[in-house]
Amino acid sequence: MDEPVVHISGFRMDFADTTVVRDLSFDVRAGETFGFLGSNGSGKTTTIRALLGLYEPTAGVLHINGRPFKPEHGSRLGYLPEERGLYKKEKVMDVMTYFGRLKGMDRHSARQWSLAYLDRVDLSGKAATQVDKLSSGEQQKVQLGVTIMNRPELLILDEPTKGFDPVNRRLLMDIIAEQKNDGATVVMVTHQMEEVERLCDRIILLKDGTSEAYGTIDEVQNKYGGRVVRIRHTGPIPPSPHYEVTLEETNYAELSITDDTDEAAILRELMDAGMVIRSFTTTKISMEDIFIRVYGEHNESPSPAPGRLAATRGA
Amino acid sequence: MAQHNLGTVISFEFVRTVTKLRFWIGTLSVPVIMAVVFGMIFLSNTSTSTAAEAQKNAQFSISYTDASGLITPADAAAFGAVPAASSDAGIQDVRSGAVEAYFEFPAHPESAAVKVYGADRGLFENGKYAAVAQAMLARAVAVRIGSPQLSGLAAGSAQVETVTYQGSEVAGGMNSVIPPMAFLVVFYGLVVLLAGQMLNSTLEEKENRVTEMILTTLKPTTLITGKVLALFMVGLVQVAVFASPILIGGLFYRDALSIPAFEFSQLVFDPLRMTVGFLILVGGFALFTTTLVAIGAVMPTAKEAGNFMGVMIALIFIPFYSVSLVISEPHSPIVQVFTYFPFSAPVTALLRNAFGSLGVLEAAMVIAILYVGAAVMLRLAVRLFQYGSISYTSKVSIRTALKAGSRHAVAGPAEK
Repeated sequence: MDEPVVHISGFRMDFADTTVVRDLSFDVRAGETFGFLGSNGSGKTTTIRALLGLYEPTAGVLHINGRPFKPEHGSRLGYLPEERGLYKKEKVMDVMTYFGRLKGMDRHSARQWSLAYLDRVDLSGKAATQVDKLSSGEQQKVQLGVTIMNRPELLILDEPTKGFDPVNRRLLMDIIAEQKNDGATVVMVTHQMEEVERLCDRIILLKDGTSEAYGTIDEVQNKYGGRVVRIRHTGPIPPSPHYEVTLEETNYAELSITDDTDEAAILRELMDAGMVIRSFTTTKISMEDIFIRVYGEHNESPSPAPGRLAATRGA
Repeated sequence: MAQHNLGTVISFEFVRTVTKLRFWIGTLSVPVIMAVVFGMIFLSNTSTSTAAEAQKNAQFSISYTDASGLITPADAAAFGAVPAASSDAGIQDVRSGAVEAYFEFPAHPESAAVKVYGADRGLFENGKYAAVAQAMLARAVAVRIGSPQLSGLAAGSAQVETVTYQGSEVAGGMNSVIPPMAFLVVFYGLVVLLAGQMLNSTLEEKENRVTEMILTTLKPTTLITGKVLALFMVGLVQVAVFASPILIGGLFYRDALSIPAFEFSQLVFDPLRMTVGFLILVGGFALFTTTLVAIGAVMPTAKEAGNFMGVMIALIFIPFYSVSLVISEPHSPIVQVFTYFPFSAPVTALLRNAFGSLGVLEAAMVIAILYVGAAVMLRLAVRLFQYGSISYTSKVSIRTALKAGSRHAVAGPAEK
C-alpha cells in the first residue's frame, strides 16, 4: 500500500491546562479528497496548524509525505487558512507573483498563470488593483488563486467556502474538483455537509478532540444507521428493536434502521401494529443528520446548504 | 530554495516600499525642506552681502566729531562727512534734517562705543549708519598704520594651521574624525527613519492575516532576514536622498550658501577606524532592527507596538546626554557602561571610534556584543513571529513563545 500523504498518529495538543486534541490518528491517501469535520472548538484548525508546523504538538506524529512538514522541503503545498488575508496595500498581480515565486515559479510563469487565473474567476480587470479595493469575495478568489499556484500536490483548505456567495461557492468547488482531477490530494475542513457528500472520498469527524467517526461516507453513514425510513402515517408508531424514531411530527416520522432488517419487513411491522401508512420511502442518513446527531441540536449545527445562509466559525 | 526565497523576499519588500507614493512624499520632504532652507540662506546671504556693500558705500550727508584724533579731514572727505561744531550741534542737525547722520567718535574708540545718530530709514536700512561709521574708523586706522598687510593682521585675519603627530606620523585631526563620524550619522538616520517600518514589518503579516500562508511557504528566518536586509536597503536610499542636497550644495553652491571652505581631499580615511565604524553600524542596525521586529511579533496591533518604539529611540539618544564625557573621558565608568550596554553601544562606540578613543580590543568587544546580540534577537524575533504571529488578537507572552519549542509546554494562543 502506498505511503499516505498525510499521516497523523497519537496526536495530542495541550494549550496550558486545556487539552484541545487527544490521541488523534488518521491518514489521508494520495489523490483522495478528505473531509475534516467537527464542531467549533473540536480541534480541526489546531490539527491543521500542528500538521503544518505552525504549532508544536504536545505529543504524536504528524507527517506529510513521510516526514514533519517544513516549508523548505519544497513540497508543493497549497494551504488556505481559516484566517484569511493578503497584503492589502499591494496590487493583486504583485501579491500573486510574490507567492508564485515563493512557491518556486519564475516571475514570468507566475504572472502568466495569475493572468489566466484572474480571467477564469472574472477578475481579469483587477490585476493592477490594490487588494483592499476588492470586495471580500474577490479577495477570497485571489487567495484561492495564491493557494493553488504551482500545481500543489497537497491542498489543505480550512473552510474554503466561508464568505462566498452561492455562485462563487460553485466556482470554487469546481476549481477544487479540477485540482483533484489533476492529481492533488485535498484535505478540506468544512461545515458544508452538501460539499462533503459531493466531494469527499473519506472523512473524519472530530468530537472533543478525538475521532468520532472515520472512513468513507458510506462507512460513516452505516455507522449512524445508514438507512432512514420516512413515513406519512396515522396512528402511533410502535416500539421496535429494528429501528429508532429520530423525528416525529404530526403524521410524519423518520425512523433510523438499526440492524439488517429490510425495509419491507419494517413496513409490514408498522402496518401489523395498526398504522395507516400513506407514504413510505427509504434513504441514506444525510451527513447533516449525522452531524446533528453527533454534536447535538444544542451544540453546533452544520452550516446550512447554499441558499440557507448562516454564519460559521472556525474550529 | 531558501536562497531563492531570501532574494524574493528582499526584492518584494524593497520594491513595494520604494514604489509607494507615501514613501517618496516622506523621503523627499526632508531634502525639499532643506532645499527651501538653503534657498532662503542663499537669498538672504545675497541680499545681506549686497546690503552690506551698499551700506558701506552708501552716500548720505554726514557730520561728525572726533575726540580721538584718528579721523583726518581726508578720511572724512572720502565719505563725504563734514565736521560738526559739537555733539549737541550734530544731533540737532540730524533732528532738523540738515544732515542724515551724525557720528560721534569717542576719545578711546578701542574701549568706548562710537555713537551714531541718524534719520530713521527703517530697521534694516538704518544699519548703513553703523557700517559707514566703522568703515571711516577702519580706513583712518589703516592709513595711520600705513600698511594694508599690517592692517589685515591687526584686524585678526591671520590664519593658523595646526599639524600634530601620532608617533612619527602626522595625525589627522578633525579631518580624521569626519569620515568615521559619518557612520554615526547614517546609524541615526537609519534607526530614526526606519524604526516605525521595522516595528510594522511583521505586524503587517499579523494584522493582514497573511502569517499562516507565509509560514507554510518559507522559513520564518528567511522572511525576517529578508525584511531586515530590505529595510537596510530602504534606509540607504533614504540617507542618500537626504544627503543629496548637502552634497549638491557643498559641491556646487558652497560660496552662495556660505558653506565653510572644506577640502574633501584633506579627509583622512583611517582603514581601521572605517572598518570598525562600518562593522558597528551594521551590527547596531541589525540589533535594533531585530529587536523592533521581535516587539512587532509580540504585539497585536501597531498602536500597542508603537509604545515601545519611543523607548528604543530614546536608547540611542541617551549617550548624547554625556557626549562631552564620551569624548573627553572615554574611560569613565558611565562611558564604559554606555560602550558595552548593547542598545547604547552603537552610538557611544561610533562616537569614540570617530574621536580615536576606542581601542582595538574595546572595538572587538563592542562588535562581538552587537553581533551576538543581533543573532540572539533574530532568533528570538523568529521564534516570537513563528508562535506569536498567529495569535491574531492577543499579546503573546515571551515565555509562552519560547516554551513553544518544547514538546511538553505549549501554551495557549487565542485561537484553537
